[in-house]
Order: sequence, then structure tokens, then C-alpha cells
Amino acid sequence: MLAYIARRVVQMIPVFIGITVILFLIRSPAIVPGDPVRMIVGERAISQALYDQVVKENALDKPLYYQYGRYLTRLVQGDLGDSYQLKRPVTHILFEKLPNTLKLALVALLIETVIGLAAGILSAVKKYSFWDMLVTLSTAILVSVPVFWLGMGLQVLFGVKFKQWGLPYLPVYDMTSRDFSTVVHFIMPGFTLASASMAYAARITRSQLLEVMGQDYMRTAAAKGLSRRDVIWKHGMKNAMIPVVTFLGMDLGAMVGGTILTEMVFNWPGVGLEIYNAIQLRDWPIVTGGVIVIVFMVMIINLIVDISYAFLDPRIRYTKAVK
Amino acid sequence: MPPLMEVDDLRMHFFTRDGVVKAVDGVSFALEAGQTLGMVGESGSGKSVTALSLMRLVPEPPGKVVSGDIRFKGESILRMSEKEQGRLRGDRIAMIFQDPMTSLNPVHRIGRQIAEPLRLHKGASKKEAWGAAVELLAQVGIPQPAERAWDYPHEFSGGMRQRAMIAMALACDPEVLIADEPTTALDVTIQAQILELMREIQARTGSAIIMISHDLGVVADIADHVLVMYAGKAVEFGAADEVFCRPLHPYTWGLLESLPRHDADDGGRLSPIKGQPPSLINLPSGCAFSPRCAYATERCCSEAPHLVEIDSGHSSACHFSADKDFLNRSPHSATGKL
Repeated sequence: MLAYIARRVVQMIPVFIGITVILFLIRSPAIVPGDPVRMIVGERAISQALYDQVVKENALDKPLYYQYGRYLTRLVQGDLGDSYQLKRPVTHILFEKLPNTLKLALVALLIETVIGLAAGILSAVKKYSFWDMLVTLSTAILVSVPVFWLGMGLQVLFGVKFKQWGLPYLPVYDMTSRDFSTVVHFIMPGFTLASASMAYAARITRSQLLEVMGQDYMRTAAAKGLSRRDVIWKHGMKNAMIPVVTFLGMDLGAMVGGTILTEMVFNWPGVGLEIYNAIQLRDWPIVTGGVIVIVFMVMIINLIVDISYAFLDPRIRYTKAVK
Repeated sequence: MPPLMEVDDLRMHFFTRDGVVKAVDGVSFALEAGQTLGMVGESGSGKSVTALSLMRLVPEPPGKVVSGDIRFKGESILRMSEKEQGRLRGDRIAMIFQDPMTSLNPVHRIGRQIAEPLRLHKGASKKEAWGAAVELLAQVGIPQPAERAWDYPHEFSGGMRQRAMIAMALACDPEVLIADEPTTALDVTIQAQILELMREIQARTGSAIIMISHDLGVVADIADHVLVMYAGKAVEFGAADEVFCRPLHPYTWGLLESLPRHDADDGGRLSPIKGQPPSLINLPSGCAFSPRCAYATERCCSEAPHLVEIDSGHSSACHFSADKDFLNRSPHSATGKL
């Protein structure tokens, strides 16, 4: 098991380096039009002496490979550079925002797991019933509706209209409104971020459970005298959950990366919104730094998922141990 | 005193989009404690569905018992509540399935799976049940049972898995053990071991066994009584010696003829029953076996024969089973082979 983990960690290194190369290149003058010095200093007029100083400080007169080496060296030391606009270290900016993104992703994961699994189990156990139809229909809608549209729709309905109608309503904007407790702020963005994944989770759960219910070992369990409920819970669930857990884990990674749209719609002060704003301002250190942080987290999450997968399925544990 | 288990004109039909599949269509037998009943017939003759019906494990719908009754110690299983059926299942009546590769849950330890019926029916604690599971593994001949109980099914070989299945079925000392082709998925040497094990268990526990097999050798080996099934119906029933030595039904003749033999004088050529078993949705009129029967007459094609007792305790569903001249035409009449 340890050897497996070590190998997985080693495999992460080339992936990570590859991503830094891509990120470094797309912000280089070769690809992005415009003078890097002007991006750094902004619109104000500067003297030639100051211009030369900026070039020198940022090694812009050196060849590209030198610049990359310098960038990578700083990166492994935890230095993502300074923001052009805010003139502060990118790491500070990102780590202020990261907890908000993580909290949102975890809330979304929770919503996805609880509602997605419950809906999937319900529709598998009551196959072809009204509930099954309802789940199938609503998952189809959730999968096909764009996240930003759903987010704005929820804002209009539960934020604006409910307030107009004098009903209990939900906050539509960031997480700082004094009128609401912190938890309430998470409801709509969390649901929005979870929407498509929740639908997929429900569908995977349904199909897996249906497949498992046709297996011979389920009949064996029934032959022992277990009730239908116990057969499903004690013998079906763990088998059906293996692919679902894999999906949930990989999806958490995707969700961390996919918060940009949700954070934009809800003005959520997270890494995604920070990246979005930085793209508009061409604040490249924040964009690349933000992407690197997200990539790193996705890689770590995937590693954890792979390891937990082996704990769920004894057959995988075995083959890996033998290798 | 009523027999231990009694099946009375059981009809289990499946209502499908293509029509009604009469998987079991009038099967009756009685089983006494300590006895072994062998059920034989081709694939699709209704053996397994009969067995699953006894356990009430046929999914309903599409299945439905349209008539008949199943009684355990005189009490109708069909009329019991689901809860009462659950109490019998795995405790008084246990079942061993055909494919040990897929019949064990891949994500639970062997020990836990064997312990489960004890926890459920006997209210054993986790520790007691685990201890009993290890003991059961030892009884079915698994070496180092205390360690192997911690294994997962994929760490067991096919024969060991079937032993584990048997241990699981034996956990609560069932009075009836239903074995649905327990040796079919195993290779020949292991088959013999498993049969030997089942015989041993029966001698020790005195439980009744229903042994389902399409392998006549297996049934001849172990059964006291034999029920021959064809197209969902019982076509011959009797003591094993009687059925194998003096078979009454042409279908049984065909089954016995199609066995490979060592002493064959025709160069070892097999003589299979010609044709295919009929579709259970659209059975031929008259005797279901008539299209494949070499001795069929017009009467066979129009009038369905009933299972009638010919000799004491030996019955057959053929119009001609009582006809001595007809029986003399049997390939078995001269020698009483097997």
C-alpha cells in the first residue's frame, strides 16, 4: 500500500511540471499580446529608467528558459510572485480566499452526496414508480441547465421574488450579509455548484444499485432470511457504492476547479472569483497562481480517492499488494 | 404426522410481455427428514424455479404461484407473512447455489458471511457468530479456518467457495437443505469432494436434502428418491433404484441413454435426445415431450398424460407406462443398466 502511494506521488511530479510549463507559456509575451512591463506597471506613464528597472527585476531581458527556471525555483519555494494590481504576494491573496472556496465545495459535496444518493436509492428501489420518474426527469433537467443560469434563476426566485411575496427568502449575494447566519449563505451557491454532479450521482447510484440487485450474492443474502431492506443495505450498498465514491471523489476535484461560475454568480469571495477578476485585469500572477493551487488540490484529492477506493474494494487492495 | 416438506401441485408461472411462461406447472412431492430427493431434467425444465419457489425467492412479479401449495411441517409457506418466511429461510430451510463464484458477496469477509445467519436467526453476538463460523469452516474442510475466515471470497478457490457456501447454509442446522446444482461450476475431482461432504453432513445432522442436478451420475450417487422434470412438469417420480433401473418414462430413457458410458459397444457414440426442449410459453398440445419422443402416438399429441402411480411409489406421466409390452421396448428393459 505504501509503495502504491509513493508511486502515485512520484507520478504526480511530471504532471505538475507539465502544467507549470503550459501556464508559464500562456502568460509569456510570445503568446499573450502586449508589453509585460505595461501589464506590471499599469496605465500610468513611467520613465525609461523605471521601465528598465522593471525589466531587470522581472528578468524580462533574459531568455524564456531562464525565466521559466526562475519561476519554477520560486514556485517550489512557495512563491507565486506578486499581483500586478494589488502589489501583494499572490500566495497571501489566494490563501485568504481558498477557505471560502473549499467550504463551498465541501457544502456542495455534502448536498450532492445526501440528495444525489437518496434520490438514486429511492428510484432504484422503487423502479418505474412515480418517484423514479420524478428523479429521472429532474436529473435530466439539472444535467442540461447551465450552472450560471440555474444560479441566477434561484437568485430571482428564492432571493428576489420570495422577498417580494413576503415569504422567507435566501441571501443572493456573497457571504457577508448581516441579515443571515453564515450557514444560510451557503444554501443557494452550494446547491448551484452541486446541481449537475448531484444529478449524475443520483443516476450512477440508481444504475449501480439496480445492477447489484440482480447479482447472485443478493439472492444468497435473501436466502439467509434477511429482509429486502437488509439485503439492499447490508449487501447491496457497499458494492453499489464503489463506483459512486469514485465519482464523488473525482467530482470534488472538478468542483474545486468549477467554482468559478458559481462564485461569479453569487459574488462568492473565493479563488474562482479571484481568478475571474484577475483575468479581466490581466493580472497574470494571480491567474497562474490560482490555477496552480487548484491543480495541486485536484491532484491531492484524486490521490486520496484512489487510496480510499482500495479500502472499499478488497479485490483492488489485493491485486495492488501482489504487484 | 405431516411430511417435513410437501409440495402439492405447485404451479409457478411468469407473466412476461411475450406471454405466460409456465416454468413450474404441476409439481408434487413429499420429503421426509433425513431423505435426499434428486431433481433431474434438462436446462429450463423448471428445477431451479421449483427450488427457488420453495424458498420464496422467485421475484414476484413477474413470477406468480397460480395454484398449489408448499408446506413445511404441515404449515403452508405460501400463506405465511413475509416475516415468517424470512424466519424459515436460512434457518430451517437453507439453500446452496449453483455458482460459488458469484453467489458470495465480494466485499464482505467469508467469516462474516457465514456468521450472518447465526446473528440473524440465533441472536448470536458478533464474537460467538464469528467463532461458530470458524468452526463451520473447519467442518466443511477448510484448512486453517481461523485465518481463512478473514479472507475475502476472491482469495478462495472455486471449491473452497462452494465449501464456504455450504458452511453458510449449514450455519443454523437447517432441516431442509436445497442444493441447486452445487457441483456444476466445479471440476470433477472437486465435485466428488463436495458430494462426499454433503453426504457426511447429512449423516451427521440428519437434514433432508433436495439435490438439483442435470447430472444423473450425481443424483444416482446421493438421492433416495428421484423426480424427473420436463417442461415444468414432473414426468417420473420414484425411489432412485427404481427410476434408474426400471425407468418408466421415455424421457427418462432418453436421459439415461445420453450418458457417456464405459461399456458402450458402439464405439462410445453418444445418443442424445433429439430436438430441443419446448418453449415454455407455447407448449405442444398433449404430452409436452411428444415432439421428441420416438414412441409418440396420435394420442400423445392430443391428450396430456397425468402423473400416475404405476408400481408402488413409482409414478410416471406417460400414457403407456403401465403397458408391459411398451416397457419392454425400453433400451433399459433387458439389462437395467447404470
